[in-house]
Amino acid sequence: MNQVGSAGLVAALAFARSAERATLAFFLMITVAVVALETSILSNDFHTAYVAAHSNKDLPVYYKIAVLWAGQEGSLLFWTWLLSIYGGLAVLLNHRKNRQLMPYVVAIILATGVFFTSVTFFVANPFSVLSVERAGGLLPLHPPEGNGLNPSLQYHPMVIHPPMLYLGYVGFVVPYAFAISALITKQLADNWIRVTRRWAMVPWMFLGVGIRWDPVENASLLPWLAATAFLHSVMIQEKRGMLKVWNMVLVMATFFLCIFGTFLTRSGIVSSVHAFAQSNIGIFFAVFLGIIIFFSLTLLFLRLDFLKSENRLDSVVSRESGFLFNNWILLAAVFAVLWGTIFPIISKAVEDKTVTVGPPYYNKTALPIGLLLLFLTGAGPLLAWRKTSFQSLRRNFTLPLAVAVVAGAGLFFAGIRDLYPWMALTLAIFVAACVLQEFYKGARTRQKIVGENFAHALYNLTMRNTRRYGGYVIHLGIVLLFVGFAGLAFKTEAKATMDKGDLLRVKDYVLRCEGISKGETPNYLYERAELSIVKDGRALGTVLPEKRLFKASQESISHVALRPSLAQDLYVVLAGNDEDTGKVLIQVFINPLVAWVWMGGLVVFLGTLLAMVPSRIERELEGLRRPVEEAIEEKHAF
Amino acid sequence: MPLTIALATAVALAVFVAWPLLASETGAEAFLPVDVTPLADLKRRRMVVYENLQDLEFEYKAGKIASEDYQAMSANYKAEAAGLMSASLEAETASGSDAWIEREVSARRARRKSAPSPEYTCAECGFENPLPVKFCGECGAKLEPGGQKKVTSGK
Repeated sequence: MNQVGSAGLVAALAFARSAERATLAFFLMITVAVVALETSILSNDFHTAYVAAHSNKDLPVYYKIAVLWAGQEGSLLFWTWLLSIYGGLAVLLNHRKNRQLMPYVVAIILATGVFFTSVTFFVANPFSVLSVERAGGLLPLHPPEGNGLNPSLQYHPMVIHPPMLYLGYVGFVVPYAFAISALITKQLADNWIRVTRRWAMVPWMFLGVGIRWDPVENASLLPWLAATAFLHSVMIQEKRGMLKVWNMVLVMATFFLCIFGTFLTRSGIVSSVHAFAQSNIGIFFAVFLGIIIFFSLTLLFLRLDFLKSENRLDSVVSRESGFLFNNWILLAAVFAVLWGTIFPIISKAVEDKTVTVGPPYYNKTALPIGLLLLFLTGAGPLLAWRKTSFQSLRRNFTLPLAVAVVAGAGLFFAGIRDLYPWMALTLAIFVAACVLQEFYKGARTRQKIVGENFAHALYNLTMRNTRRYGGYVIHLGIVLLFVGFAGLAFKTEAKATMDKGDLLRVKDYVLRCEGISKGETPNYLYERAELSIVKDGRALGTVLPEKRLFKASQESISHVALRPSLAQDLYVVLAGNDEDTGKVLIQVFINPLVAWVWMGGLVVFLGTLLAMVPSRIERELEGLRRPVEEAIEEKHAF
Repeated sequence: MPLTIALATAVALAVFVAWPLLASETGAEAFLPVDVTPLADLKRRRMVVYENLQDLEFEYKAGKIASEDYQAMSANYKAEAAGLMSASLEAETASGSDAWIEREVSARRARRKSAPSPEYTCAECGFENPLPVKFCGECGAKLEPGGQKKVTSGK
């Protein structure tokens, strides 16, 4: 009997290895499908329905590559492909680590893969071909030209934007898989949370890059907020062994919201600029979402006994409670955004008319929540772990508060008197002061203790605990983002019908129309205005806004001309033209501080990279597992 | 032509996936190591407390924490570390005694193998005859096959 048992174990291990290889095979086969579709697109194979619907012969090559994610079928395949990449990476990077978890990790990732592959193959197949019914039966149809790519995607930033979002959405499958396998195997000590945190940071970053404000982006904001909450509360678990159940819930919620977001975008249930048309895949997603909820919660319930807290909350004024507060607010934001996103559906169901909630709703809910979060971004790190007395509070808050008061008064007298922008900018300065104070105090202390020079001390301070100081860098990036958002409140707009030689004055800019021309490229017809810009008597060159009419789709779009600077971006739009007079309608937007949004994004990105560098303590803890890994290494090679 | 390539790829991948099931050396991995043992977890928790303590000291030196707070929390962390340390020790001796039991069991097993088979134990006097014999070397009683049962019941 014992032999049978051992043989069973050996076979089970062999199957686990086999499953890992299957993940790699899955990646290779989906890659073959993606290459096949891209080949059809690039070679203008309009016999394929998907290519005919979303591409055209004269589309520039780099936009043709983007056709892969321009439509329902292709984007599902793209999603599956990214999933297979993440899965393959998870297998390769854990070849010698987390051996008990891996069989289940692979199972969860491939189960998700099976769902997406099935939907792609059976419901929304990008490889179906066009044919017409004739007397002799179905005949293949080869249209000479495709319908063309959606004009709003034919703009450089928009090409990058969907892959970023997808990389974010899809990536959260890995943390989810690790969390679930930790629950299944009861290996809930500490290991899974470190692995999960690392895997959650990458998609978190991608999702952050992809976010903008409209219903579909809201869908990406949801998992991003939940993941942000997770990345914070995970620290309490690592440091104090608390909130174990809560962290599980957050990982599950993040993954659920990712699939939910994909569902919203794909099913056409919420209308938006880049949601796709109504389709029948919604029901499959609804079932899949139901399975995720049922499976996750049942498992969580069965393992509650293994998720007992090791410590208790010592005080209400502490870093722990600061994190908890941050979690609640982030969740409040999730619900506010979720409500705004699905309100049209509910209103349709209740009153039979679709009521979309617009900027006013978000201004009322999201703005206060955002400002509160901004405050915590600075105040949280100043609270000590476990317990902070009034004396300690005074030591840490005096300087940043003084800076904030001075800055707030300064801004008020500088003429910024609207409540929200004023608060946002004042808080931004407060947070920057808090974070910089942290770096300064830390480096000074190190200087005193170790005797290094300031720069060296700053470097070592950061590298000793990359996660904390990487996190602070991210907080600085968030400050820059908020400064940029606050700038939106001060945008100026002007429009005029212009002919050659006409002037348009907007704030301190003067635009002069130098000429209006028409022309065509293989892909589109255009009408173009040439405008020279003068600011404060200084010539800044010319801009060329266009209105483009795409030949294949017969849709037109304004191609914005843009002149960025650190203080403000100038957008010039050719909004329309008067056929009779030949004049053009020019719209000018001055958006202050937009560049700060980009800088903030960059700083967040760099901070995330820094936080992913393993710091000393993590290397030591890793060392505790080393002997086990070496034992495995000896036993086999791939 | 593309179909041939696709088929060849599919077959190659199938072999790749099935390989661990066919290869003989996979038998070598007949154990599945635990990622984190309870003992390693206790050690991990202790290291985290030390790290917290170091952080606390650093923040105190940086002037971020009032001295009463520092003293109270430092004592608290130290107590936590001491608790974890004694738990570790306990676990270690526990696992040590496990190992002792293991050793003892295997030693007894080994001894038993070299010991005479109970089949030649005398049912009358209980003497264990060292060689296969028909009559007991001690009392001369006849040994019956299956005498072992009698011995156990008799004893």
